[in-house]
Amino acid sequence: MQGIVALQPYVIAAFLAWAAVLKLFSRRMRSQAGQTALARLVGPARAIPLLRLVGLAELAVAAALLLPPSSPWEGTAAEALSLGFLAYLGYTAVAAPASSCGCLGAHAQPVNVRGFARAGLLLTMSLAAIPAPPFRPDPPHLLLGLAEAVALLVLSPELDRHWLTPLRQLLVRLRKPLAVPDGREIPPEVSLRLLYRSPAYCTASARLTSDVQDVWEEDGLRFVSYAAGARTAVFAIPLSGGDPSAVRVALVEEPAPA
Amino acid sequence: MTSRRQLLKSAVLGGGATVVAATAMGSLGAEAAFGAAAPQVEPGTPDPDFAEGRIRSIKDNTLLVLGSNLVFRSIRVVDGTSLWKLGPVGFDQAKPGDGLYARGVRMPDGVLAAESVWLNIINIKGHITNITSEKIHLDHHGKEILCHVVPGRSVAIHSDAPASADLSLLRVGQHVQILGAWRPDTNEADIATVFSPH
Repeated sequence: MQGIVALQPYVIAAFLAWAAVLKLFSRRMRSQAGQTALARLVGPARAIPLLRLVGLAELAVAAALLLPPSSPWEGTAAEALSLGFLAYLGYTAVAAPASSCGCLGAHAQPVNVRGFARAGLLLTMSLAAIPAPPFRPDPPHLLLGLAEAVALLVLSPELDRHWLTPLRQLLVRLRKPLAVPDGREIPPEVSLRLLYRSPAYCTASARLTSDVQDVWEEDGLRFVSYAAGARTAVFAIPLSGGDPSAVRVALVEEPAPA
Repeated sequence: MTSRRQLLKSAVLGGGATVVAATAMGSLGAEAAFGAAAPQVEPGTPDPDFAEGRIRSIKDNTLLVLGSNLVFRSIRVVDGTSLWKLGPVGFDQAKPGDGLYARGVRMPDGVLAAESVWLNIINIKGHITNITSEKIHLDHHGKEILCHVVPGRSVAIHSDAPASADLSLLRVGQHVQILGAWRPDTNEADIATVFSPH
């Protein structure tokens, strides 16, 4: 137990230092500061100075946690910071649910349950760090520290594009969930898109007064009828081939069925 | 219905006696578009020939629709009315709870005689967060919308290429626009067309 407790400051410090570096030095972060909930809280003009201030605070707490001598105050400072994060996330969820939190660099995702879980985990770890006994490394505790660090990273939506998106892309490539079996029917939308690009449709579209009334297939052609005022416009679209100029149209003196 | 289809088919393929105009006759020229009078609607006022809302009840051929402005409209559907619900459908597909947009002619009694009705149609943009079997998970302003691929219906259009029933070129992380039919009271939709910028 002592070892677990003694390990916490290092994991917290590494995470805080990283968050601070992103806030202090990321150009992208500064350019998108206006989209964070912080900008809603204090105004866009003060968002960047405040982000820097939070970054400095994080860096200071991280340095205090890392450097000897260790004292209970360090864990308490980290806990205060985590409580601040939680309060800020709570405010964001209520007041600006569409804004991103700006916690760990710029991204467009609004605050969600993962953000709260991350701040909650940080708070728990800070609480555990308060007793601050000296740390003697041994493998099980190091593994636990690693697991905590991974959990913090997985709970960060800012990092999804580095691991979650590529992972899903790989799974899609392997599983091919949208592969089409051969020999399927041609969706009507394929014929309609060819129709919209055809000269025949361009000349007739001004007369059309309804959307598609009827669609049917016959002799390798797809027929589509529209109301054109008191008349009916009928188009013949080839099912195979992609040449829009092959589409034919006729305007028929046959009133739309009333 | 079959005889009507035969009549229309013979008209467009030639040999029909009732044809008023075909492309060869020139009277369907592009200038006709400029000759047609634009609908006169005062800016800022609602278009009387348009209605939107959700179907509350269906009686015979009349839909009672509650608009988003909380005003009821009656919409009459006739045989010549085109209905869309992920594609052209019959009147029996209209169900209470469906959202709709309708265009037609306002009759003196206030009823809208519909020429076209689009049921549950949605047009949304977002990026693909995941692709699972026959489903595209779309992130639309931070909210997930589950978009179902409907075999024989859904198509993808990549850039300027022709529409294709093959959706397998879509990638996780990319931006798309989806035209489809909402499944009422859910965050799910059926895909008609996916537009991909590349």
